[in-house]
Amino acid sequence: MAATAFADAAQYHREFEDFAAKRNEPDGLLQLRRQALQRLETLGLPSSRQETWRFTDVAALGQMAFQRAGDAPVAADRLPLLEGPHHRLVFVNGRFAPGLSRLQHLPDEALVASLGQALLTHPERVVASLDQLKGLADNPFAARNSAFWEDGAFVYLPRGVVLDLPLHLIFFASGEDTASYPRTLIVLEEAAQSALVVDYRGQGRYLNCPMTEISLGSGAVLDFHLIQEDDPQAWHLGGLRLQQEQNSRFTGHLLSAGGLLTRTDIYGLLAGEGAECHWYGLTLVKDRQLGDQHLLLEHAKPHGNSRQLFKGVLEDKGRIVFDGLIRVQQHAQKTDANQQNRNLLLSRQALAHSNPRLEILADDVKCSHGSTVGFLDPDALFYLRARGIGLAEAQSMLVYAFANEIVEHIKLAPLRERLEQLLSERLYPAAERKV
Amino acid sequence: MLEIKNLHASVDGREILNGIDLSIQAGEVHALMGPNGSGKSTLANVIAGREGYEVTAGEVLFLGKNLLELAPEERARAGLFLAFQYPVEIPGVNNLYFLKAAANAIRKSRGEPELDAMEFWETVHQRMELVKMDESMLKRPVNEGFSGGEKKRNEIFQMAVLEPRFAVLDETDSGLDIDALKVVSDGVNALRGPERGFLVITHYQRLLEYIVPDRVHVLINGRIVRSGGKELALELEEQGYALYSKEPGRARRANA
Repeated sequence: MAATAFADAAQYHREFEDFAAKRNEPDGLLQLRRQALQRLETLGLPSSRQETWRFTDVAALGQMAFQRAGDAPVAADRLPLLEGPHHRLVFVNGRFAPGLSRLQHLPDEALVASLGQALLTHPERVVASLDQLKGLADNPFAARNSAFWEDGAFVYLPRGVVLDLPLHLIFFASGEDTASYPRTLIVLEEAAQSALVVDYRGQGRYLNCPMTEISLGSGAVLDFHLIQEDDPQAWHLGGLRLQQEQNSRFTGHLLSAGGLLTRTDIYGLLAGEGAECHWYGLTLVKDRQLGDQHLLLEHAKPHGNSRQLFKGVLEDKGRIVFDGLIRVQQHAQKTDANQQNRNLLLSRQALAHSNPRLEILADDVKCSHGSTVGFLDPDALFYLRARGIGLAEAQSMLVYAFANEIVEHIKLAPLRERLEQLLSERLYPAAERKV
Repeated sequence: MLEIKNLHASVDGREILNGIDLSIQAGEVHALMGPNGSGKSTLANVIAGREGYEVTAGEVLFLGKNLLELAPEERARAGLFLAFQYPVEIPGVNNLYFLKAAANAIRKSRGEPELDAMEFWETVHQRMELVKMDESMLKRPVNEGFSGGEKKRNEIFQMAVLEPRFAVLDETDSGLDIDALKVVSDGVNALRGPERGFLVITHYQRLLEYIVPDRVHVLINGRIVRSGGKELALELEEQGYALYSKEPGRARRANA
């Protein structure tokens, strides 16, 4: 199988033709892939001279040759399974793993399947929704995924259908110098409801380029969770497009804890009146990890409401980049938008770049943003110690409390408990280090 | 119990305490009064071990131990308690969880087993009544969104649960209305006993009507200029501190 050199356009083409010839897909889909390939050629590899890639240097990717990942056996105990009843689809290196997946009883009209299966049974549904949303047009990794995705998850809930049990998607990557392109397509029609957990995990020095598209019809409600715990040597460059119609409600939780270099680019369009979009994000970095979150939430219609609370905990030489933009279009009056980014430095070598931005074209809106970068509060530390609590434990309590503000928003108890466990395992020993 | 000898301390190179001598025995309540900027809170912070204060001379002995060599948590474990003038809000740390961690840290240092949840809950319930604290305050993050009075009550409540040998109350009366002042004072009085000592720091005589001290000391420009019985507080109330201040200009600067 051909290696994918990032810098070499001719090689994209060879690889693409090779890949496309074996796909046997509807013409519409192949067309989308070709368009994405063209975008990819135009965009090339981002350079740190570009404003949005200024602090996240991916030039090293140009020197690497990633093979398309092969099949790899994965033991079930390596998967971040959730307690309690739920639907589960597992993908290994971007390919569906039916043996690890398990669907409970679904409402008759609901469609929950791998994209590959859905293309066989309901191709028109997939083609109608895939790659149709606005956003990330200038992101080469999104384009890569659109050109090269193999499989992923498809969720279609028609009008009024409520998925009672949470749906858990696990994308496991495995291999050395391999790349995978998981794709997730979520379509909730009017008043449909669901809770979704997407887990990224893996083992090895791989490139993970996932792309998620979420479309919410009028009054639809989605509780979304993205948990990134990739291998410490892995690169994770993901994208997410979201579009919300009238009075729909989206709550997104993003936890980024793994990977060597990870970045998620999010574009959300509040396309209908009264749409509500809340994001809670937590990025944990240590050693030489870099965690980058870029968000653009665009209010296109009046009475929209958006919240972004992104927190970061930085240890060692970890680095965090946060770039959030609230864009309010001219007619989006009565928009209520707030964005907060808070970073806690646990080491003097750590570095946080915070870039909160507002772009407001309407005149009757309530928009605010704020950003902080700081060390643990010495007054709070002293207060705890003055009550007999040791320095290390006092530090841990404060770090945990800072991070848990994000996790405690999660309504799904089994996931919240899992993440609380992750926080205490990761942050307790960390805080014992000298600050 | 607490022995302070010729204590000098400075902040950012500026000397605040100019040779304090003070001896407090178990069972005694001493009041330390003085104008703003006289060094009252500096003394409290030096005793509790807050960073940023440099002790340039003198010593502080607590139950025979050299207190100044100990980390703040070691002082607390040895039985020292500071009721803060400005209790800190700690978002995300549950009040009850915090208090249990503190109680267990102190017990552990004494080689005692940790309290089980039931035992701890019983102690907490008893002590809550002492300061008329609402149960909902236990479930909230430490001091977060508490009113001034609630914060001060929470300090006395913590003291009641942790049962220190010696407590420093740093302007616990500031910002309290008369009802809250009574509640807080009742709490303190209930904890008075032959084994326990108190240093009550205050600007006003009012608190000392409720917590009647054995001794009263007047602190001016980092020095105890006069000591006496409880009647000294009344005298100060009438005459003010101006009488003692030879350098009013300096007192004003320290105030600013």
